Amino acid sequence: MKKAFVAALLILTAMPLLIGVAALPPHGDPDTPVHTHISARYLEEGREEAGADNIVTGVLLNYRGLDTAGEVTVIFTALMAGLAVLISHKKQPEGDAAYDAAEAAAEDAPVRAPVSPVVSFVVRLLAPFIALFAVYVIVNGHVTPGGGFQGGAILGALFIALTIVLGRERTRTLMPRLAQPWMQGAALLTFVGVGIVGGALTGYFLGFPADASLHLARKLMMLVLEAGIGLGGAAVFATLFLQMEAE
Amino acid sequence: MLEALWNNVDYVASVVLFCIGLYIIIAKNNLIKKFLGLNIMETAVFSFIIALGVIDGGDAPIMGAGAHAPFSSPVPQALVLTGIVVAVSTTALALSLIIRIYRQCGTIEADELREME
Repeated sequence: MKKAFVAALLILTAMPLLIGVAALPPHGDPDTPVHTHISARYLEEGREEAGADNIVTGVLLNYRGLDTAGEVTVIFTALMAGLAVLISHKKQPEGDAAYDAAEAAAEDAPVRAPVSPVVSFVVRLLAPFIALFAVYVIVNGHVTPGGGFQGGAILGALFIALTIVLGRERTRTLMPRLAQPWMQGAALLTFVGVGIVGGALTGYFLGFPADASLHLARKLMMLVLEAGIGLGGAAVFATLFLQMEAE
Repeated sequence: MLEALWNNVDYVASVVLFCIGLYIIIAKNNLIKKFLGLNIMETAVFSFIIALGVIDGGDAPIMGAGAHAPFSSPVPQALVLTGIVVAVSTTALALSLIIRIYRQCGTIEADELREME
């Protein structure tokens, strides 16, 4: 009975989608609205106007900078919500005391599952190269595929791999307690900072100076934004992982 | 109809992926598996949007040495990057909630949770 219901529902979902897909213009057709409206302009002038060889980065940080600021807010909110959900079950006094108690409990936690020596060796061996790659992806976001989000994801994954292999006591030194809130909010703070600088230069929040002589300023603003997004993203992933792992 | 579908086989693949994700959400009992299904559905939508921006024989929209016109549209790619980040955020929140449910109820099977009420 249930299987028949599921099958019927899937068919009911798939049929309209397939009919709609069949009515779309052929895949790869250059005359579709996707290619004839704003993309054409981005592709023609984006390089000079936005200051990035990678047009996707130009669209993301320059033309749609406010969008990306909102996106960064979404990650930060997800972090806050995740922490609220995971922490609130501990019935301890609020404030720093709760934090200390949680940390002490985490340190007293029973031994972790043993890590295979092969995995441990490979992660230790590759860690510096992965870190270098992440930094490369972040700072080259405007000339090659990549950017802050991608590099941040690589950095965060590296942190998680290191935490699994070395244990949280040793990786926690990578995120000192005092710097933690700044790192978690890095992306948002960078957007606000660069937005204000852009505002001082152009009169619009997050405005990029359009003048050709300010080419370097545009590049620099983009680089700062990418670095902030990368650091912030990595810190958010790392914090969420640490919080989920803490039992 | 069949010929049109064959011309748009990239989009059809997204539809198939979407239905796989939907099937997992409906049929599986484990909450984590349900969210994997949701992630598969999201991937289907992302691949569909990316496929819309592709142009026959087009290059990646990155100017510089060796780049040649026509270029694929950069707008869908930027939109999907935003979408992926939001998807990651929802997944992180969902996993946090699942961990919380497990601590509270000791199970993450949907039917057992329903019986507990």
